[in-house]
Amino acid sequence: MKRNTFYLLVGIVALIEVGIFWLSVETERPILIQVAFVLGVILLYAVRRTVEERMEDERTAMITQKAALRTLETFWVAFFAISLGSAVVAFSRPLGLRPPHLGPPGTAPPDMLELPFIGGFALFQMALLCLMIFLYVGFRVYYARKYGDWDTDEEQD
Amino acid sequence: MKNRIKVYRAMHDLTQEGLANELGVTRQTILAIEKGKYDPSLELAFKIARFFGVTIEEIFLYGDTAERP
Repeated sequence: MKRNTFYLLVGIVALIEVGIFWLSVETERPILIQVAFVLGVILLYAVRRTVEERMEDERTAMITQKAALRTLETFWVAFFAISLGSAVVAFSRPLGLRPPHLGPPGTAPPDMLELPFIGGFALFQMALLCLMIFLYVGFRVYYARKYGDWDTDEEQD
Repeated sequence: MKNRIKVYRAMHDLTQEGLANELGVTRQTILAIEKGKYDPSLELAFKIARFFGVTIEEIFLYGDTAERP
């Protein structure tokens, strides 16, 4: 496949995804767009391998790696800062997070226990960002083992 | 790190695109190496040297050797 044909295919897949997104909203079935998105990405990755003109080599791989790492670092800090701000704004309202109620279950006023939606969402985002750190550490360990970070030789005790 | 890829390319009457195809890299990579913006991996350096039938030192000039005329 030629490179321009590949770009054309990317556009077509994007249009189809938009259509499926609309269908997903209309039918109230989020699984539709979720599955379609993953399938679309897999399709494009598979087709990209068939592009005749070389698009990647060691230099582009290095550029991709460096760009990805910098993006991750910057995005993580910015996203976490915004989530922190959102949480503070949400929990500053009357329905915000309060200290735990020590009385018997079910006796606390409902407005004391309810987490504001935005605040809960901000916490969820921060939890995802923390999960990203674990994911990153996992990948670091995997690639470090793969490329011999912990290999030993006869010169070591 | 300086290099003489452009000279050897001219000696072999090769374009950047032609050399890139022979080595299995993109034309932009050859361009970046020639301009000294990217230092190739050892594997690619060997490929380039072997393609031109010379040693790596004849193509790539490291440190002080780059000052030689």
